[in-house]
Amino acid sequence: MTGPNPSPPEPRLTLKSQLEDLTLVWPWVEALGRQYSVPADTQFAIQLCLEEALSNIVRHGYGAQPSYPITVECAASGVAELVFTVEDHAPPFDPFAAAPPPAPTSIQELQPGGQGIRLMQKFATRLEYQHLTHGNRLTLAFAIPPTSNP
Amino acid sequence: MQISSEEMAGGITRVALDGRMDIAGAAVVDLKMNLIAGSAKKLLIDLAKVDFLGSMGLRSIVIPARAVNSRGGKVVLFAPNEMVESVLKTAGIDTLIPVRHDLDAAIAVLG
Repeated sequence: MTGPNPSPPEPRLTLKSQLEDLTLVWPWVEALGRQYSVPADTQFAIQLCLEEALSNIVRHGYGAQPSYPITVECAASGVAELVFTVEDHAPPFDPFAAAPPPAPTSIQELQPGGQGIRLMQKFATRLEYQHLTHGNRLTLAFAIPPTSNP
Repeated sequence: MQISSEEMAGGITRVALDGRMDIAGAAVVDLKMNLIAGSAKKLLIDLAKVDFLGSMGLRSIVIPARAVNSRGGKVVLFAPNEMVESVLKTAGIDTLIPVRHDLDAAIAVLG
């Protein structure tokens, strides 16, 4: 674990479309968590959903081609929630357009990685997709309990 | 992320994971997990010290579990914390790979 960070984190993180860059997300979210007094369970949910959203973009949106841009921006909406906006320049893809795959009924049917959308729907408070002229925008919001934001 | 394994009585292989099962953590444990799963018949995956589980980390559990299961072996997930268990439940893993919080109960699953 890292110690307290005196300077607030940048509200915007720019990544390249490679899985290695996703390691930059964890310390950034930790720093935001300190800034906004985000409870540990909510930080877990944010890390989980951002990892899923970003790895989908890297692997599927950009087809594992590195060096394309992805930006993640964090804003506090009032005091009630943290809102993350993820933008890419990949071909249009609405991750929520199709129903999530049915739950597997045997270990052999388990598709590794097939449950990501279900995880995001469970752990984010609100999810929105928007098709941009040259890419995609995914908005993920997480409620922050009022006690952690006096 | 750390991974260690030990042979227990009854032919049980206990794999203890320690740390964050995120993308980086999954990459660290994947090879050893798959090696262990290549020979284990009764696999106890100890999640007590896993403080994060993402979808890449789930892969690191599901793929070895499938390998053991396909050879007629058994797998149990032991002592996940509340959030990690919530991930397992949401992904529907807990209905296919038993989750136990008591070591004796976990061993009984493998019996």
